[in-house]
Amino acid sequence: MSYCVNCGVELDKTCSVCPLCNTKVINPNQPVDTVSPKPYPVDKGYVDSGIRKETAILMAVCLAATAVVCGLLNLFFITFSHWSFYVIGTCIVLWIFCLPIFFPTKAVFRITLLLDGLGIAMYFGIIAWLHPGNGWYTAIALPLIILGTLAVFFFAISMGHPRSSILSQAVILVAEIGIYSVCVELLTRRYYAVPMALSWSAIVLTCAIIIDVTLVTILLRSRLREEVRRRMHI
Amino acid sequence: MKTINKTIKHTPKKQHKTWYKLDLSANVYPTLQRRNFSNVFRLSVVLKEEIDPDTLQRAVDLTLPRFPAFKVALHKGIFWRYLEPNDHPGPFVMPDIINPCMPMLFKSNNRYLIRIYYYRCRISLEVFHSLSDGSGALKLLKTITAVYLRLKGHEISNTCGVLDINEPPRPEEMEDAYIKYASSRVKRPRSQGKAYRIRGHREPFYTLNIIHGLLSVQEVLQKARSYHVTLTEYLNAVLLYALLEKQKADHVFREHPVALALPVNLRNIFPSDTLRNFIAMVYPSVDPRMGDYTFEEIITHVHNYMRFYINDKFLNADITTNASTQQSPLIRIVPLFVKDIVVKQFYIRVQDKQSTAGLTNLGVIDVPEEMREFVDYFDVLMGQPFSLRTNCAVGSFGDTLSINFTSTIIETDVERFFFRKLVQEGLHVKIETNRDMNRSEF
Repeated sequence: MSYCVNCGVELDKTCSVCPLCNTKVINPNQPVDTVSPKPYPVDKGYVDSGIRKETAILMAVCLAATAVVCGLLNLFFITFSHWSFYVIGTCIVLWIFCLPIFFPTKAVFRITLLLDGLGIAMYFGIIAWLHPGNGWYTAIALPLIILGTLAVFFFAISMGHPRSSILSQAVILVAEIGIYSVCVELLTRRYYAVPMALSWSAIVLTCAIIIDVTLVTILLRSRLREEVRRRMHI
Repeated sequence: MKTINKTIKHTPKKQHKTWYKLDLSANVYPTLQRRNFSNVFRLSVVLKEEIDPDTLQRAVDLTLPRFPAFKVALHKGIFWRYLEPNDHPGPFVMPDIINPCMPMLFKSNNRYLIRIYYYRCRISLEVFHSLSDGSGALKLLKTITAVYLRLKGHEISNTCGVLDINEPPRPEEMEDAYIKYASSRVKRPRSQGKAYRIRGHREPFYTLNIIHGLLSVQEVLQKARSYHVTLTEYLNAVLLYALLEKQKADHVFREHPVALALPVNLRNIFPSDTLRNFIAMVYPSVDPRMGDYTFEEIITHVHNYMRFYINDKFLNADITTNASTQQSPLIRIVPLFVKDIVVKQFYIRVQDKQSTAGLTNLGVIDVPEEMREFVDYFDVLMGQPFSLRTNCAVGSFGDTLSINFTSTIIETDVERFFFRKLVQEGLHVKIETNRDMNRSEF
């Protein structure tokens, strides 16, 4: 039998380190038993989420029925405009938004983020088609939706990275806010045919750069990083 | 006594449909349910021979009809939740997993709110707390084990908490004992004040860290007697000491009292045979702001606290407070979803904050004499804590005292302080864990 030299407790023969203080077991008289089964199983259990599929089916049927009925109503009875396109679009967007609830895996969540962007773009497309304007959809709405979706997508990927921390996520988020605000201003100026220059977005970008430089410095200096993590418990 | 089992007649042709009201404690647990949390606890028995899953399944199938309190499904009403007998197939025994006490979704697992696992020589029973407390569930586990051993060809008598599976369930096993005994003319306040909260890094979902200590009952008892206290009081004091050390090590900006949430088995005080919940919480605490406590002072403080609070008068006042809330006509007409929001917020903001850790002691577990030679020891797990904290569960069988710490945080500070103190006290401790100790976080 092996004992932890720090804690004084007897350790299970399969323990390679003390679970209490993480001290390595080095006992020449009795090496760690790697053959015997461990006191606890190794397989991980997961909650059966079968009911989610049923809810997903129910939700799909409800939304599909709403879309079809409204479409038929618009086609045969209340025919004064293409109002049913709004309802059908809403049903599709709602369905896409609910996907991560029904299939709660990381991979599905990331894919649905892109689908969410696609859904929003489609809905705005319907509005643009029903109310044709001065090309606002292709000039402003679509680029901003694409940029926003990509920003959220990359942020979600950064969150899932094994070495990601709250500080590194904050760096990405702040950088994305800075870049996005610049894009918003430039696209708006281009749409209104105003000279391309930065005004308010330059202030946002400056703040973002200052915050990011500070955060990156904290991240790079290990002592500073540990101090911040200890103080803020993150 | 109020009627707890109601019978609804739909039509003369249809069978009578029985349903059960949730008891006072049981009403709270479903409201706290989250995607990653259920109030589930686990009792295990470690036998001296490997478990045969087929025989265990037969034992479960034979035993469960005798325990209607566990063969139920939870349903939502407009004002309250209720239990209905569950006739779906199951529950089925499963190979054990590394992360016990997983969330128990009410509609999964054929709506059963219990799970039975086996691993090598261990049979584990997981129970959603709305069905029963540790004492009630222990009777089910003992009976399943006794039936299992009988199927293996051994003679086991129906004594020491093993129920006769051939007799019908007794009505008193299903009673809401809280309502029966809540008779105090005064209600005690619910809030005990804020306690120190353990800080730590949360583990990913589906992780429950267990550190299991095995000690000799005689050794610990002897040590407790040397301080003129009981074993529970002694372990309470050691855990309070460990939590005080943890608070010191955290260098907190503002110190808080260190308090334990300790469930008391009310069956020892009020005569009841109920298999459902019948516990009350007491909160032994030490306030370091008053000055530094020595270990001896903590022991004396805990001893006096327990003597003062654990008696029929105080506990009666406690359960009366809860009973009066449930029976209030105003509260009864509030829709369930509103109750859920209010109860959850009260639990998060008041109840959960008034204790630093949980400690439960199932006490001395006894089995029929013929069964003793087949049992190695019993094990208790408090399950996943609601917030970032460590829970401790204690149970003893023969000369084996089993102490289980469960937590969802990476740090093992409390466990380390606790077991090191026991070692300093001259006790021999053996440690097992389900933690993956080769991870980079350590």
